[in-house]
Amino acid sequence: MEGVITKSKDVTLLEILDRVLDKGVVISGDIVISLADVDLIYVGLKVLVSSVETMERLRGEPFAGAQEEPT
Amino acid sequence: MIDQKTQMKIYAHCIVDHSQAIDNDIEGMGGTPIYNIPYRDIGIVVSHIDKQTKDVPKEWVLKHEEITEKLMENFNVLPMRFLTVFNNEKDILGMMKDYHNDFRMNLDRLRNKVEFGLKIIWSAEEMRRRIINEVDKVDDLASLKDNSLAKSFMKEKIEKYKVDKVLEKEAERYIVVIDNIFNKLSVEKKLQKLTTENLLLNASYLVEKEKQKDFKEAFERAKNTPGDLKYLFSGPWPPYNFIVLTKKPDIFTPLEILKTMGNTSF
Repeated sequence: MEGVITKSKDVTLLEILDRVLDKGVVISGDIVISLADVDLIYVGLKVLVSSVETMERLRGEPFAGAQEEPT
Repeated sequence: MIDQKTQMKIYAHCIVDHSQAIDNDIEGMGGTPIYNIPYRDIGIVVSHIDKQTKDVPKEWVLKHEEITEKLMENFNVLPMRFLTVFNNEKDILGMMKDYHNDFRMNLDRLRNKVEFGLKIIWSAEEMRRRIINEVDKVDDLASLKDNSLAKSFMKEKIEKYKVDKVLEKEAERYIVVIDNIFNKLSVEKKLQKLTTENLLLNASYLVEKEKQKDFKEAFERAKNTPGDLKYLFSGPWPPYNFIVLTKKPDIFTPLEILKTMGNTSF
């Protein structure tokens, strides 16, 4: 994401998923196609925060201190 | 000769406030260039994907966002939800006709604005521990001598209720302090409190493009809010969280399906 401040690419992906899966212009398209591992992704969304927290624990550093300056 | 168009489906990227062709070299989902399909004073940017596409890789999620952000550099955009796909241009134009007023209204409202995300995490467990210590000090039931099972059960329930209430009030107190920092720099906001126990706040703010720098500086100040809080700040995003459609998608609910089958007893 342009100007993203979050450091981890995984966190960025979670933030994107948090938006693109059920927000924006939500209309009924003609076709239903699916994201591979879609169940996993949706389950992942429900535990988005848990994932964020887990990643943070694994890195052993707080988000606030892990940020990069916007590019 | 095989008509290539019949072998393709159309992937919708975003609505743009632009009704002319787009001069670009941006590659769409299926590897072919994106292009704009005009409808009256607006357009929808699309690309072709293979008709056989059933499952798509996770990389498409990033690509969807990347393409929208590139377009956002030059146009006012309304991002489509990921994986909005049509059979042909005729269907797209039908949809554009149905939603034109909504799209026009949103494009005007969201012009030159971007979205920022703010997630704040706290340790609910730690907060509970602190609250329980406080509750114990003032708990009039704590002096009960009768240790019957019923009373113990009731005491436990009451204490949990009290702790939950205090926890919620504490969350509100934090959110007011933090939101106060961002509120005056945004034009719209969406705040969700405690969607999970540890997600104190999940907020989206709509911000004028020219105030982005101020907003980022405000975040630096917000990080100094007293308390053991973790922050996840992201943006600028296309305004995913602020698109409001008055026309509902043509998706039948189970109840409507039953009604179309002649069962009107519902």
